[in-house]
Amino acid sequence: MEPILKFEHVSKHYPNGVHALKDVSFEMAEGEFISVIGPSGSGKSTLLRAVNRLIPISGGTVRLDGQAVSAQRGAPLRRLRRRVGMIFQNYNLVYSLSVLQNVLHGRLGYMSGVNGVLGLYSEADKREALELLGELGLGDFAYNRASDLSGGQKQRVGIARAVMQRPRLLLCDEPIASLDPSSAKTIMDLLRDMTQKRSIACIVNLHQLDVALNYSTRIIGLSQGEIIFDGPPDRLDDATIEKIYGTSRENLMIGGSGDEQKNTADCA
Amino acid sequence: MSKRIPLIARDLKRLYTGFLLAAAVLFAVCSVLTQFNVMTLIANGGAFWAFITEDFLPPALPKASRIPGVLSSVVVTLALAMSSTTVAAVLAFFVSLFGSEKVSPFPRLAKAVRGFATFLRNIPALVWAFILFSSLGIGTGVGFVALCVTSFAFMVRAFVETMEDVSQDCVESLQAVGASFPQRVAQAILPSCLSGFLSWFLYCVEVNIRASTIVGMVGGGGVGLTLFSYIKSFQYDVALSIILLIAAMVIVVDQITAKLRRELLK
Amino acid sequence: MNAAECTAAPDRAARAKQKSPAKIPVKCRRRNRFIPAFLIGAAALAVLGLLYLDIDWLKLASRAPDVGRVFWDLAHLDFSNLDLIASALVETVSIAVLSLLYSLVLGVFFGMLAARNVFHVPALSFLTQSFFTFLRAVPTPVWVLLMLVCLGMGPEAGVAGLCVHTTAFFTKSFAQSFESIPGETLEALEVTGASRLSIFFNAVLPAALSQIVAWAGMRLETNFSECAILGMVGAGGVGFVISNSLQGYDYGTAGTAILLVFLVAYCIERIFVRVKKKFY
Repeated sequence: MEPILKFEHVSKHYPNGVHALKDVSFEMAEGEFISVIGPSGSGKSTLLRAVNRLIPISGGTVRLDGQAVSAQRGAPLRRLRRRVGMIFQNYNLVYSLSVLQNVLHGRLGYMSGVNGVLGLYSEADKREALELLGELGLGDFAYNRASDLSGGQKQRVGIARAVMQRPRLLLCDEPIASLDPSSAKTIMDLLRDMTQKRSIACIVNLHQLDVALNYSTRIIGLSQGEIIFDGPPDRLDDATIEKIYGTSRENLMIGGSGDEQKNTADCA
Repeated sequence: MSKRIPLIARDLKRLYTGFLLAAAVLFAVCSVLTQFNVMTLIANGGAFWAFITEDFLPPALPKASRIPGVLSSVVVTLALAMSSTTVAAVLAFFVSLFGSEKVSPFPRLAKAVRGFATFLRNIPALVWAFILFSSLGIGTGVGFVALCVTSFAFMVRAFVETMEDVSQDCVESLQAVGASFPQRVAQAILPSCLSGFLSWFLYCVEVNIRASTIVGMVGGGGVGLTLFSYIKSFQYDVALSIILLIAAMVIVVDQITAKLRRELLK
Repeated sequence: MNAAECTAAPDRAARAKQKSPAKIPVKCRRRNRFIPAFLIGAAALAVLGLLYLDIDWLKLASRAPDVGRVFWDLAHLDFSNLDLIASALVETVSIAVLSLLYSLVLGVFFGMLAARNVFHVPALSFLTQSFFTFLRAVPTPVWVLLMLVCLGMGPEAGVAGLCVHTTAFFTKSFAQSFESIPGETLEALEVTGASRLSIFFNAVLPAALSQIVAWAGMRLETNFSECAILGMVGAGGVGFVISNSLQGYDYGTAGTAILLVFLVAYCIERIFVRVKKKFY
């Protein structure tokens, strides 16, 4: 079966000399929930944005459902992007519009130019959006300005927007970094449940190692643009963690009870 | 004997001393270069004051038959300022979409667009007016074009700044969703930046009321020209009334724009 | 956001679903009606203005190629009069700097009078502010024109004219800076028995110093720009060179002068961007 996502010797260096990704290769199958971990500057953001070509790569190939991403431009690129949902650390909503309008933005990739510009969404789309908001617990907020919401609520709107795309793959760039612990748990639970229910593969960038261990089927550890570790959470031992972060375990705020092994039976 | 205890940090003191010295040197140099002697000014002060009281005060109204003409010239100045700023704003909006690397569909052109606007902006409106007057002749139309050009250049830079401050994040998310460029403009940039754009627009109107008066003075028509003609014909008392009129016009417009900008921020 | 608003939304949506084929709304309920009203108003005013001005657009468009020709001529820079332009430019810059320096001092003085927290005489502040608002509302070239009439030709008119507007501007800005100093600081000093004046020089002025420098720098750009214009209304300097050569169809010289004006303005802008970065 064709992997949903395939990185083949991908590399990226910036004009200022920074070598963000070095010969990154991996495959991703449907239904996986991958967490990408690593210190700041390890290339996590670049890796994620290479999938939908928000950042063009310098070498190698990224394949989405077999199609090479880097070769696409214009309309074909948009058709590719609409199949990939993305949620951001800072939610990236249009704050002066209503919550419902923000969710409906997820359909823009499927709408003609004129309809999209004027915001003429179909009634079916609107109903689907309202149901989705209800599922996420935001049914009462559909007509509020997006700026009225709390951080956790805004991120839920972001998730709704991404799910509206009916994507095959969901990219999450530090989705809980700006949230308090309670909202963070809500968001991670929602991500896991939504992606399982709708068979959406999911890649999440995380700083919090314990969250990664708890929620993912597979962990990719990145350091200085190279993959240091790629495997299930229970195989991630202290030595590898220290190699990824470049410092001994005592210097890391891992969170949870760091000395015990995580019970991996709880993972998705 | 102890040394004087300093009050402020040594290097800060050096900095301030440096500034003062620079200012003093500049002052001396410039005074020599322009042969400006403030003493002559003060010495002439007496004559200056007499001139003001005799010839300028009290302000007199122009002949009754001329009054409608004066009032209509005020309307001309206002109309010139308002319409040129609006047209410039619309043009600047479209051009500024191409002036920001993050937003433009042609990122490599963005620097050129901004550079062009910078070039236009650093040449004062009056210089533009003169260039256009010598090629197109005098008249309100040419004044309109001159004001348009400078407002356009200013607003392109202001709009690009606003876009980069406010809408960068949501433009990225709409790119990720697969939205096309017009869709991104309509669904992300416009909703988030519109009140910022309008705020800059109002600021430009304020500036243009004054610029329109000046451009009028050198041939663009409007109340500036009226004032100029009264001064040239030595009717200084009437000229003073016109100056008061101009001041009133500017103050009223300033108040209105300040109020509108407060409404925008809500 | 009260409870009533919360429950209204799903009811409306449900009702909308029921009475198909009516369309489901998407926009916010609490919409800001101001912006669309403003846009319509501005557009209406602009259209009215254009109609009133009755500009002969066709005539303007037909002469557009002339503009191209003028720009082409301007681009043929003529350096033969460079010494004239350079000396005029130096004079212009000097006038700009000089008026800036005078206005700084005057601005501090009047700002002191205008700020409400220095002498605590409300009438004084109000009068000063109103007087300078009036001065500021009249564009600089008008003042320069007046000065020319009163003082005759020469740099005095230029400096004095520029000073009027610049001082008025500084008065307002400095008064703002002075007033932004917390009342408690000044109160603490008053309690010690210090006179208002000495409080001003020892507390208010030093605290506002960095802002004063910032305003001064910002104003130098504008001053130079205004100064360049002055010549066109008769006060001498590079503006006079430009207008003279344009009227005499000596486009080569005009082009050179304009280019130099642009370069100086651009340099000033760049210098202050550097200075601002260094201090903030």
